[in-house]
Amino acid sequence: MNGIVNNSDLAPTSAASARAPLPAPSRPSRLGVLRGQARLVVLPVIAAALVITGWEAVVRIKQIPNTLLPAPSAVAIRLTETLPFLLGQAVPTTLETIASFLISMVLGISLAVLICKSRLMRDALYPNIVLFQLIPKIALAPLFIVWLGIGSTSRITFGVFISFFPVVVATLTGLMSVDRDLLRLCKAVGADESRIYAKVRFPAAVPHLFSGLKIAITFAMIGVIVGEFITAQAGLGYMILFAASQAEMTLIFASIVVLCVIGLVLYGIIVMAEALALKKYGA
Amino acid sequence: MLAQVETFKAITAARVRKVYETPSGPVEAVAEVDFEIARGDFVSILGPSGCGKSTLMLMIAGLESTTSGAITLDGLQVSGPQTDAGMMFQDPTLLPWRSVLDNVLFPIDMRGAVSSESRTRAESLLRMVDLWAFRDKRPRELSGGMRQRVALARALVNDPRILLMDEPFSALDAITRDEMGYALARIWDTTRKTAIFITHSIREAIFLSDRVLVMGRRPSTIIEDVRIPFERPRDPSIEADPRFNELYLHLKASIHRTTGVQ
Repeated sequence: MNGIVNNSDLAPTSAASARAPLPAPSRPSRLGVLRGQARLVVLPVIAAALVITGWEAVVRIKQIPNTLLPAPSAVAIRLTETLPFLLGQAVPTTLETIASFLISMVLGISLAVLICKSRLMRDALYPNIVLFQLIPKIALAPLFIVWLGIGSTSRITFGVFISFFPVVVATLTGLMSVDRDLLRLCKAVGADESRIYAKVRFPAAVPHLFSGLKIAITFAMIGVIVGEFITAQAGLGYMILFAASQAEMTLIFASIVVLCVIGLVLYGIIVMAEALALKKYGA
Repeated sequence: MLAQVETFKAITAARVRKVYETPSGPVEAVAEVDFEIARGDFVSILGPSGCGKSTLMLMIAGLESTTSGAITLDGLQVSGPQTDAGMMFQDPTLLPWRSVLDNVLFPIDMRGAVSSESRTRAESLLRMVDLWAFRDKRPRELSGGMRQRVALARALVNDPRILLMDEPFSALDAITRDEMGYALARIWDTTRKTAIFITHSIREAIFLSDRVLVMGRRPSTIIEDVRIPFERPRDPSIEADPRFNELYLHLKASIHRTTGVQ
């Protein structure tokens, strides 16, 4: 009934070729034995191992002093010696990072909802938030010391300050991603706002929210470490600065290794939460 | 607000006009539209893109206000969202995280009123649109035509008094579109709800409707009102009827007049 049907669309042009045997896969490679998931894990590990081995080799052959660039093996030895101490230093850094992140999450989601709900707020705030993204916020760190002192409050506040913008932007994008016709349908069936948020807007925002949270956790850690550079008497950021002043290069690298592990674990927790959430709310 | 007007007409529009204020000045989306639709009629609104068909539908649903003029549903003036209008759009607008059955139940769930009765109703609607076997699937596992059938079941789940459809099949391929037209005709026959169906397809409009209104562009008014005489239930064979072709050519000529094609 819908007018013209193009007969050539129905011609059996590919029927014969579809039955032909498929050609054998070409391009055999040396790493061809590695397939799928294994390949995705093994290849990056090999690449990283090569870089570390190269680093070790350069330091040994060129006999670079430990005070300039320590060999990975020297860092590993220092790390095992000082691990209990470094883990003790990691506690305030980790707790402040988590605190910054959680506050950012609550604050960021709340602000996103506020902006989404109110046209006035959106017009007044959103351009400023986007502009604020462009400011090198690290430069403002000393202000927080002046305002809030040298305690953990100023470090957490600074961590929140630099990590909550990505949460706002990502959540807002998600909340606003709902199809206009679907919102019309909600209104037409007599749904109230809170139900539209609970059953439509928030579920639709879940994938966006997590991309914001992944940025936020790394930013929160950067904020806390910068804060420790300036103010702290403890924490891994402080350890790095202290070790630098003593030319203890192996200690700096050992601290960085611990920071990396903490960062990876925190990020990994969010990725796992994301995987669970996307199972339910993913497209 | 709820003035009693005429009760024997399901939908009336009297001198309905819609003007949007835009930064570059007012834009007239609907110029002046008058019509009356009898209860149980399937009416298509046919017209070129940008003639205000969708705006008109939103005004009937109470989702857009009229700039002037009045619309009534079952004699009551429309002054806000109409909860007993079932709606379909060009996009199925299903929720990807809900199963097919839960998508059909969505309008009831949004009022917090899901009961075992509504569940039974949703299930029987899924059987009617031939998707019973897919009730637990997610929308992404369905084809475009199947998704629109879910949207049709969802539009009917509240047992609405009117059915408003805005180009529901225009994103589908030609073959699926034909199948959907036949399916809609079959399903509509069992419910006989007053329906407004917006489309660009003249054949679709003739096949499905009791009446076809042609809407012109600039000014956006009803320029033609044609009754479609075929008996129901209809089957694809009516397209071979000479009257079908006559109607087709007649409607095509009126659309061409409004778009300026010679």
